[in-house]
Amino acid sequence: MTPSSSFPRAAEGRGEAAEGRGVAAGTPAAAESRVEPAGMPPGGFAEGRAVAALSAAPIDMAGLLAGAHHPGAGAVVLFSGEVRDNNAGRAVSLLEYEAYIPLATSMIAEIVATAKQKWSLKIAVAQHRIGKVAIGDTAVVVITASAHRSEAYAANRYIIDRIKHEAPIWKCEHYADGTKEWGNNCNCHTVTGDVNKHIYDTGG
Amino acid sequence: MKIHVYARLKDYFQPEFEVAGEHVRNTDELKALLLTLNDKAGEILSSCRFAVEEGFIDNEFKLNEYDTVVIIPPSSGG
Repeated sequence: MTPSSSFPRAAEGRGEAAEGRGVAAGTPAAAESRVEPAGMPPGGFAEGRAVAALSAAPIDMAGLLAGAHHPGAGAVVLFSGEVRDNNAGRAVSLLEYEAYIPLATSMIAEIVATAKQKWSLKIAVAQHRIGKVAIGDTAVVVITASAHRSEAYAANRYIIDRIKHEAPIWKCEHYADGTKEWGNNCNCHTVTGDVNKHIYDTGG
Repeated sequence: MKIHVYARLKDYFQPEFEVAGEHVRNTDELKALLLTLNDKAGEILSSCRFAVEEGFIDNEFKLNEYDTVVIIPPSSGG
């Protein structure tokens, strides 16, 4: 089974609940950052509390990292995708993220859960911003903790690659000259010939 | 049939609209119908995924006129 084929598919059961639903955020901070309706799956767990997969508020990177320590983990890897002030030679003033929230949330949860199982991670967390994100701010964070560094690095790369390519999240680049443009899309389908297959699915 | 679109697709269609879906049986037929509304949307529609009830569908999925179909352009998160 390819990673993309594990996503919820309506043809295989309309309305079927995704694994992990029904878990509520466990702290006020987590509750404040939730944007999905209660019952949506989280983007992982840190210190036993659920972390929302999507957040309209700034990502609490220090708080997430503080919750990502585990006595069985000798390695913690944190990736922070941050907004830079330029793209393709143009000055960028901010990014604005839009998501199909129900599906993006369940897909991030599935990606994190798959990585956690595949690499036997102690901690796996991913959270992506929606709404306007300023230059230098974090748009997406992925934290993985495992016994040894190789698993933490590999799992972290797996999670961020799949989120960027597959989760229904889009960025709109707002330029300093007042114009805006939807950002660079995943164009793997031009190579694989299938909008549900990505380069890493085929070993490319 | 209700249609929801996101991101770049909003340059071609309203974010939410309805089409007469009684003769639309699958995604290929839906794409053909959408092209009658905006014939410039062919390239972007060819790269989109479709979803119903928060699950992806392919052309084998039988649509009905009461479905809400979400059209999902290629991702650009991160």
